Amino acid sequence: MRLNGHFLRNTMEEIKTWARINSPWVLHFNSGSCNGCDIEILAALTPRYDLERFGIKLRGSPRHADVLLCTGGVTLQQADRLRRIYEQMPEPKFVVAIGSCALSGGVFQGCYNICGGIEKVIPVNAYIPGCPPRPEAIIDGVYKLLASLKPAERALEPSSHEYGDRAEVNS
Amino acid sequence: MESKRQDERFIIPIGPQHPALKEPAHFRITVDGEIITNAVVRLGYAHRGIEKATESRNWVQNIYLVERICGICSHIHATAYCLGVERLAGVEVPPRAQTLRVLVAELERIHSHLLWLGVAAHEAGFDTLFMYSWRDRETVMDLLENVSGNRVNYSVNLLGGVKIDIDNQISDTIREGLAFLEERTLHYLDVVSNDMAFLQRTRGIGVLTRSQADVLGCVGPVARASNVPRDVRVEAPYGAYQQYPVNIVLVEKGDLEARFIVRLKELLESYRIIREILDTLPPGELTTRMPRRIKEGETISRVEAPRGELFYFIKSNGTDTPERVKVRTPTICNMLSVLKLAVGHQLADLPMILAGIDPCFSCNDRVAIIDHRRKSPEIWTWQDLRQYGIEYYNGHSR
Amino acid sequence: MIITTEKALSTATELFENWVWKTRTEKPEPNRLDVYLRSSEDLIPMTVGLRVQRLGYLAAITGLDLGPETKECELLYHFCTAAAIVTLRFRVPRDGAIVPSLCSVIPSAEVFEREASEMFGITFHGLRNPDHLYLPDDWPEKTYPLLKDFNPEVLKTLHDREPDNGK
Repeated sequence: MRLNGHFLRNTMEEIKTWARINSPWVLHFNSGSCNGCDIEILAALTPRYDLERFGIKLRGSPRHADVLLCTGGVTLQQADRLRRIYEQMPEPKFVVAIGSCALSGGVFQGCYNICGGIEKVIPVNAYIPGCPPRPEAIIDGVYKLLASLKPAERALEPSSHEYGDRAEVNS
Repeated sequence: MESKRQDERFIIPIGPQHPALKEPAHFRITVDGEIITNAVVRLGYAHRGIEKATESRNWVQNIYLVERICGICSHIHATAYCLGVERLAGVEVPPRAQTLRVLVAELERIHSHLLWLGVAAHEAGFDTLFMYSWRDRETVMDLLENVSGNRVNYSVNLLGGVKIDIDNQISDTIREGLAFLEERTLHYLDVVSNDMAFLQRTRGIGVLTRSQADVLGCVGPVARASNVPRDVRVEAPYGAYQQYPVNIVLVEKGDLEARFIVRLKELLESYRIIREILDTLPPGELTTRMPRRIKEGETISRVEAPRGELFYFIKSNGTDTPERVKVRTPTICNMLSVLKLAVGHQLADLPMILAGIDPCFSCNDRVAIIDHRRKSPEIWTWQDLRQYGIEYYNGHSR
Repeated sequence: MIITTEKALSTATELFENWVWKTRTEKPEPNRLDVYLRSSEDLIPMTVGLRVQRLGYLAAITGLDLGPETKECELLYHFCTAAAIVTLRFRVPRDGAIVPSLCSVIPSAEVFEREASEMFGITFHGLRNPDHLYLPDDWPEKTYPLLKDFNPEVLKTLHDREPDNGK
């Protein structure tokens, strides 16, 4: 019986991972960006690039989201909100930092209202550089993040440690 | 906190996060039943401290900094800055460079207005129009990429000129793209002025009279939709706009429909200017020499961004860094009009009224409705509010 | 109805040259008129004067820090009509300046005044809502980022703040 239970649990995990990879829901959060990356994310969702063909859907609520797409260096006002939104997301959760500012603060490094990149506030799983990255780069980055979740490359217990794997994406 | 208020008055905080609009802001909306009675805004979620940062970077580095104030109107920010610094230095920019600046500025206006059309249609629940206009927007993004090499931060401006040049091949590509866009724009103009379902959400909503627009200091398409002739390209032509005069687009009604029509007609005007530029692009140099230190002095540089008048005040103290750069973006002028407009309207109209001014700050996602009668806070997302608006109008066909 | 640039500038020059109190005017550029006010008390009457003549809308309020040595800031109120820009400018002390608010005459002044007050520490008398507009609510008091002697070190605690999980 124990063996069966284990088998069942493993199968369930496999199904969950399969579902997650094939239809991740993303949330977009602007933590102080110039809009450049944000419009490129939106462009990636519209017919020319059509991110939805990977099953990716933009959601408005953090409670429904698997992946958090962050743009911009973190401003002092947004740092707490970013943390709160991250905490509201269900496990397992993944964070993609999009654009130079989200990686390091970019051109705004040293501005008094900028704390730094996203990773200063929350853990980041994938980094997509560029000012702003092209929609193709965003799609590539998200796709690489999804690929890294596939069972062959990843343990089946996704929430065994707090923040998931760090899949560095260079595109 | 507001429990002493009358029974049916609720405070609704909105913001600061939303996927379809771009930058974050926070609104506190007081409603009496369905009717908005007060609206207060809190900005600064994307405040980075750029004005301070300009003081520690040199004149050239600042071009790249001001270009990143806004990703949608990056070129016009850099243009305003460069025009101001060139005037301080007493440098005359070659005509070809000035014309190319206008060319890119008009292409940028096309991209920005099409982007807005999509976002505003999305707020009305008209997602088909959203997808179509963003598909067509990719055409102009391709043109911009063709001209400058970048999709968003074009980095076209230099102090004393431009970096890019166009040849006959690129001109032909632009003409082809414009022919397609013109056809589509005429179609959209037909949709926004004749589609009955859409007109229900726009006609007579958020009316801003001429005198209100004047007193509130509205700028750009919002002012022009209320018949206030305020367009820096016409009033105070800068750069090559003296050679390529703009016909001002004015609409009288001042409601949301008028704002759609103004922006779409401006698209047609932009196509005309670009074609004229391509036909008569003056030959010559692209850059001129700029001194590294800029003479002491102050100047004011005003340009017409897609959203309205952009205002730069630049003060030099004779060194290689500016003493002060003050930026006044168009949204801050129009924002007050939103707060005034919203009062007296249905809560359901709020998303459209907000989108109507093309806010460059508004990333509203979480809406908390605090019902003091039941004393149970109820969290709404922006999507819920948008959905509420759509369903409200489905049930109340007027 | 439409006022041309030249007309606007000549009307404004006339208005301020015949002003009750002698004011100094300057034309730094062909399309600009700078009016040096004696003090902030002249601000409201002069703005009303501009409005009565239907000259311009308030395009911006610029604050300038003239440096810690001078102990003064300067406020510039820009009014635009066509290409003409009329600027009312006056100096205020860097410490504890109180300036009358324009909100009663021009409602859109509110946002500009809130910005100037948090960036330069100028108090606007009669401002309905003097809260922070751009800066965070937990911004340290008496810290004004656009003053020349602003030291970003004071923000170190804000920048490196650890997450507080107890909300």
